[in-house]
Amino acid sequence: MQHIWKQWTKYRVPYLFIAPTLLLLIVFSIIPILIALVISFTDIDLAGLADYSNISAVGFDNFVQLFKDPVFLKSIYNTAFYVVVGVPLVIILSMSAALLLNYGTGRLFKTFRVIYYMPSITNIVAVAVVWGYLYNSQYGLFNHMLSWFDIPAQKWLQDPVLAKLSLILMALWKSMGVNMIIFLAALQGIPRTYYEAAEIDGANKRQRLFYITVPLLGFATFFVTITTLIGWIQFFEEPLVMTKGGPLNETMSMALFIYNNGFQLSNFGYAAAGSFVLFLFIIAATIIQFIVRKKDVEY
Amino acid sequence: MKRKSLLLALTVLLMFSVALVGCSGGSKETADGEKVLKVWAMGGEGQKLPELVKQYEQQNPGVKIDVQAIPWGNAHDKLMTAVASKSGPDVIQMGTSWIPEFANANALLDLTSYMEKHPNLKEENFFDGAVQTMKHDGKVVGIPWYVETRVLYYRTDLLAEAGYPEGPKTWDDLKDASKKLTARGEGKYGITIDGRDQITTALFGWQNGSDLINDQREPLFNQPEYVESIEYLKSFWDEGLVPQGLDLDLTAAFKDGTIPMFISGPWMIGTVKEKAPEIDGKWATVVMPTKKTNTSSIGGSNLSVFSHTKMADEAVKFISYMSEKETQLKWYEMANTLPSVKEAWNDEKLKEPLVASFGKQLEHSRPAPFIKEWETIAQAIIASFEQITVGDADVKTELDALNEKAKGILSK
Amino acid sequence: MTARRLEKVFMTTLLVAGGLIMMIPFIWMIGSSFKPANEFTAVPPTIFPDQPTLDNYKRLFLEMDFLVYFQNTMTIVFWSFIGLLLNAMAGYAFAKFEFPGRNKMFYLVLATMMIPGQVTMIPVYLIINAMGLTNTMTGIVLPGLVGAFGIFLFRQFMTTIPMDLLEAARLDGAGEIKIFFRLILPIAKPVFAVQGILTFIGAWNSFLWPLIMANDDSLYTLSVGLSLLKGEHGTDFGLQMAGAAFMVVPIIIIFSFFQKHIIEGYTISGMK
Repeated sequence: MQHIWKQWTKYRVPYLFIAPTLLLLIVFSIIPILIALVISFTDIDLAGLADYSNISAVGFDNFVQLFKDPVFLKSIYNTAFYVVVGVPLVIILSMSAALLLNYGTGRLFKTFRVIYYMPSITNIVAVAVVWGYLYNSQYGLFNHMLSWFDIPAQKWLQDPVLAKLSLILMALWKSMGVNMIIFLAALQGIPRTYYEAAEIDGANKRQRLFYITVPLLGFATFFVTITTLIGWIQFFEEPLVMTKGGPLNETMSMALFIYNNGFQLSNFGYAAAGSFVLFLFIIAATIIQFIVRKKDVEY
Repeated sequence: MKRKSLLLALTVLLMFSVALVGCSGGSKETADGEKVLKVWAMGGEGQKLPELVKQYEQQNPGVKIDVQAIPWGNAHDKLMTAVASKSGPDVIQMGTSWIPEFANANALLDLTSYMEKHPNLKEENFFDGAVQTMKHDGKVVGIPWYVETRVLYYRTDLLAEAGYPEGPKTWDDLKDASKKLTARGEGKYGITIDGRDQITTALFGWQNGSDLINDQREPLFNQPEYVESIEYLKSFWDEGLVPQGLDLDLTAAFKDGTIPMFISGPWMIGTVKEKAPEIDGKWATVVMPTKKTNTSSIGGSNLSVFSHTKMADEAVKFISYMSEKETQLKWYEMANTLPSVKEAWNDEKLKEPLVASFGKQLEHSRPAPFIKEWETIAQAIIASFEQITVGDADVKTELDALNEKAKGILSK
Repeated sequence: MTARRLEKVFMTTLLVAGGLIMMIPFIWMIGSSFKPANEFTAVPPTIFPDQPTLDNYKRLFLEMDFLVYFQNTMTIVFWSFIGLLLNAMAGYAFAKFEFPGRNKMFYLVLATMMIPGQVTMIPVYLIINAMGLTNTMTGIVLPGLVGAFGIFLFRQFMTTIPMDLLEAARLDGAGEIKIFFRLILPIAKPVFAVQGILTFIGAWNSFLWPLIMANDDSLYTLSVGLSLLKGEHGTDFGLQMAGAAFMVVPIIIIFSFFQKHIIEGYTISGMK
């Protein structure tokens, strides 16, 4: 008791600082996920939700079923595709955009900052409507633009391979802004004096970019990489609003698979099991990130 | 220093109080002792309904109808949470395809005992197809509010050129007309068939005498009747009579003649009129072409009483009002949805030819299989049909697989 | 000097070209929101309508209970800013204090970021219901008040604040709360601007949770109101476009205002 009191008086400041946040996260994230974990070993559906006596435990059945489900396996492959193609593109493009925007301070640069950011702030429902039209093979702007260069019309959302890329393009457009602004804030934090010193030492522009700017963007890059990675593993909204997973499940992501089973078909147990598989993938990816960047997280 | 930590503690305390304060739930009575009946209705219906119920409120002083509009896309989520928390509305609009699932979860009150007192709710008032959606497990769980069915829309001018001025009457006619219309030239089609609509394949199965799922809960997807209907549909893809990928805007394609026929519900009447006024008088609706029958689907919405209501009597009384012929006709004018009450169809307003075909079709209509697994099976059907038409899978092999899958779903 | 000039021209061109590409969907959206119904399917597509009409906007305001939805949305925005402050406090503690269990707790926070949102919705709803908070504004804002993303971002940025600065303030006898509000917050201004914008956008577009929580139209947000305009069969594109355009404009204004703070938030350089 004495010990605890001593600990408390010593550390109460940080504890009080994190207490409200931690409490909310425990109540609204950790406890629900534990509930979901329990659910994943049951056959709960809507009838079970209405009356708990309708629920029965099924052990690992849901998990076994999952890995026999060709749609789920396909969704794993698709998700991997989204991550491998999408994540590097987001990071490279948003960093380049930030560097470009940080280049000047004139009115033009300020205006374009808003423009680059606009997609991120647009409501997904609106995005779906607008892009649905852009991609329409008949009335869409993209095919119209291709026709200027005599390129034949594409089936942006109907062709199995192209559909995945179309969704990635749309997601890139939408998610660049947020990351760009994080890079931009980090760039603002690099003291001018570093560059001045380097210039005096005779470093050229490229050297300054690769030996000062990029390394000093370390923590921003780390942050963006982790959040982007997690975001793309949970890739969901774009296929939901654009293709519903079609054609032939070629754009089905894991998160969409979970949503379909949980909310369209009310197989909560199955969906919960699916989301734990997804959860494990995310944890694995994050741990790898942390290991890789361990050395310069805290500097 | 002490004061500072006190401040911090206060902040934490504030958080708790924020979490705990707040009046919970809506009270069932307003300040002047009026009863408030809570009604959930979807999308546009929910937004128009308050206008309709004004009259009811005048006739029934002391009762207030509180309508909450819920977006269609999220209605299922919202209903699920209501079931989970056992708190929700008193009266609820139920898409007919959801009824088995929610009835199975005991979320809908059995209305059998109220039928005597409210003759408006009796089965003989409604279309046969709609009556099949009222009952689940021998209980009456929903009263048809409005209905919809699918008919054939066609361009009278173009079909006349193809030799079918009154529209195709049989499957053979439909095929022949589609071929002739496709032969008009590059980029022209005969018809569009929406394979992603779960009811499409069912329609053709029924018309060929298949039952989809029989009374013993056995799927019939690899039986000759069903297989034949899918082969018939597949031929439209094989011969290029339907556009690949559904990227054409239906109304626009209908207007410029690219797609001179399509199968759809009553909502398209308004859409075509509004977006393609140029072709007024050049299009019509007609009942589905016949093979063994010309069965179409029946859907729409029922009104149900949520099982956790405290005002069941009031709720049933309200539903009874909604089933009156006059209310139904008024609602038809306001919301453009088709009356479920047969008698309403004798009214002049529903004699207009475009609408009258729907009345005729409703006589030959049946609901989608009324089991809670249907939604899951329907998704499997859509996937298989896509494999067959787009993925070029072998019909019999794919349907055998589908049948096995459906068996698995039904045996759970 | 010419090389520098050339570089500037090159960078500017790149910037403008990229920006124009980013703009395409917006131009399309704004243009379409003024289109009459029958122009949506014109071939070839028109970018700007041939016969512009204000109809879509008129209907938008007529069919939406606009003021109520706006008020609710702003309430959510307000509370999410309180949440922002809580995030900042937590991020600060994780970054600048040593205490037992720090890493474990931080990983716990990170873990919450990895939880797919779909799976926790029903449990969270049941918890809120058990607290008796369904159909209240509290129930709407509470679950999303704090978030791992925000805490993580604050922590990442605050680790760069030198300890000397804090020690000096403590030696001067400043209390911990004063240090946080007077010293840390001003330094963290750029992060706050970033977070503020992200928070605002999240709250402004909040949709599914308010809908699930509300048992009354009077708690609906703008997004929910917009989605009511969508029919069971087919969509009224003109109305959707107008709604979309309408929801984006306020954010652009807010952003234009905030971004000044990001670029001029040079306070950070005071700690090199």
